[in-house]
Amino acid sequence: MIEIERLTKRYGATTVVDDVSFRVEEGAIAVVVGTSGAGKSTLLRMINRLVAPSAGRVLVDGEDTMAIPEDALRHRIGYVIQGYGLFPHRTVAENIATVPRLLGWEKRRIAARVEELLDLFQLDPGEFAQKFPHQLSGGQQQRVGVARALAAKPALLLMDEPFGALDPVIRSRAQDDLLAIQRRLRTTVVLVTHDMNEAFHLGDRIAVMDRGRLLQYASPGELLLRPAEAFVEQLVGTAERPFRLLSLTKVGEALEPGHAEGEPILLSATLRDALSQLVWLGREALPVVDAAGAPAGRISIAQILRHGRALP
Amino acid sequence: MASLRASLSLDRVGAVIAVLIGVALTAAPFVTYRANRIVAGEGRMLADALPPAGVAAVVLAAIAAAACAALIRRPAIRLAAAALGLCAVFPAVGVSAGFVAPAGNGFARVSPALGFWLLALAFALLAADALMRLRLGPWVRLAALAAAGAAIALLLLSGAWADLSLMKEYAGRAESFWREARQHLWLALGSTGVACLVGLPLGMLGHRIRRLRTALLQVLNIVQTIPSIALFGILIAPLGYLAAHVPLAAALGIRGIGAAPAFVALFLYSLLPVVANTITGLGQVPAAVTDAARGMGMSARQRLVEVELPLALPVILAGIRIALVQNLGMATIAALIGGGGFGTFVFQGIGQTAIDLVLLGAIPTVALSFAAAILLDALIDLTQRGAHDRD
Repeated sequence: MIEIERLTKRYGATTVVDDVSFRVEEGAIAVVVGTSGAGKSTLLRMINRLVAPSAGRVLVDGEDTMAIPEDALRHRIGYVIQGYGLFPHRTVAENIATVPRLLGWEKRRIAARVEELLDLFQLDPGEFAQKFPHQLSGGQQQRVGVARALAAKPALLLMDEPFGALDPVIRSRAQDDLLAIQRRLRTTVVLVTHDMNEAFHLGDRIAVMDRGRLLQYASPGELLLRPAEAFVEQLVGTAERPFRLLSLTKVGEALEPGHAEGEPILLSATLRDALSQLVWLGREALPVVDAAGAPAGRISIAQILRHGRALP
Repeated sequence: MASLRASLSLDRVGAVIAVLIGVALTAAPFVTYRANRIVAGEGRMLADALPPAGVAAVVLAAIAAAACAALIRRPAIRLAAAALGLCAVFPAVGVSAGFVAPAGNGFARVSPALGFWLLALAFALLAADALMRLRLGPWVRLAALAAAGAAIALLLLSGAWADLSLMKEYAGRAESFWREARQHLWLALGSTGVACLVGLPLGMLGHRIRRLRTALLQVLNIVQTIPSIALFGILIAPLGYLAAHVPLAAALGIRGIGAAPAFVALFLYSLLPVVANTITGLGQVPAAVTDAARGMGMSARQRLVEVELPLALPVILAGIRIALVQNLGMATIAALIGGGGFGTFVFQGIGQTAIDLVLLGAIPTVALSFAAAILLDALIDLTQRGAHDRD
């Protein structure tokens, strides 16, 4: 768990981060969104003390970060940035081993951990361990960057625009992979982005920042239905609202009994995906199946529309 | 059709080399003959400079090399042609010395003349061009340097050049030649070494502290613009004072003139490339890389040693290369203020209008700079390979 308390950063007369407080529960993903210059990155970099706060404090699992030596604190917190900053003169394996090596892990333990992480990120150790970063694709570099950040099993992972350098197709796959891995490892994540879709896709909670201030910190649904300020509403995008809402609900949560004709939809798909499919196929309803392919019921356009309304 | 045209078309560099060879064979004397060491010489054309078989060998090798240079594009063949030319012309000039000088005349001097130098230049150009096109790896280049060094050593030790004026100048001063060689190397390598010891930390500090960086580079740039002889003059006063008032300095051989001011001047000149390249190299390390290193909890020292210096190394080595090559050449000037080195022969030779004595100082200087450049270029490549394709 991480608690941010009245965190403030001033550079001379300008306040970059202004009295921000929020808390991220154990194993949750908090996404910080805002326009550029909103103070998101500065906020993130104050958590691992790359930037020294002017006021306020950060507690990681109840412990004040100021009480922990700077380097030791960073060994405990994973850090992923846009462009990843992989060491170009070191192999993939050496890159991933960075923090375990700094912590003085035994060689065999490091090797085992590197292999485990490469497997986890679907990079064949035999093929990738000895490669250099410049020999990897953008998506592979991104995975190595996250693997390196997770190497010493940090309780907290900080990510600053981690998907910013990827093209849209690879980006959405990388987001899904991150979600899957995060669900598995239960690592607490604070992620900074300016991409609202990414925020809604990944965030358990979303913190909206503008000009250094935290405007609202709430779940995605709450952000849509009860925006605290006009700016939040604007940032969320009024035209996008119903679709964002639909994308927060899984088909399984809106399932209707009965049958329908046509290509089945998975229980785990979002209502947005289902709607898109229904519109495309020109159907009123489609059958729903579970992951094994067994019929579970049906989903209709009318049912979906009910979930896309601001007021039930 | 296109391929036919391509295969017949003239190679531009090669055409120039072929013209050089043509001029050297037909219009320039191959050697100069002088009745004694300092009288004006008379040129001997190739046909009069060698026995007929020797003339034929040199002409054939030169024509073959010219044809390859102009018409054949495969670098390996061009390199072989250049090697053939060099192997013909270098021993030939030694043979010529024995052939042209009257037997038993100890005063007569034979030196290579314009024709020889043009041929040597043309073959060397051809070889350099071919080597560049071959894009050899660093190890092969080092091996090629060693082979060239061995070939030259063999030529000199075999006595094939013993009758040449250059070697007669050497024979008279073998002892002082090697003494000045040691002095030259000590001046050039020592001053570069000290420049590294001082310049690397200065560069690292300059990288961290912006104000220091600007001041440092400005001062070093000004030093670089002072002519060497003026810098020697400037150093005479403080070093002379030091020698007069600090017994230890005097005991170490520091005086207002001699090796000390030369050493200090060379050191000051080489400081700029070392410091500037250290600052540039460290500045080129991507911001994301240093940010990630900090974010993972690497200390300032760990970042410098494990990340920044390895990534800056090729640029830093390029600076050391500039410093070393520059100092190997500039150490010649040290002789002007009694600092020794190969310059001793150059300035003695100029004083006596004995051009071969000048060459005795100049040729080793050029060869040393050349070898140092190749050596450090290979080293730079090796460090860069580590960063790119060590797989």
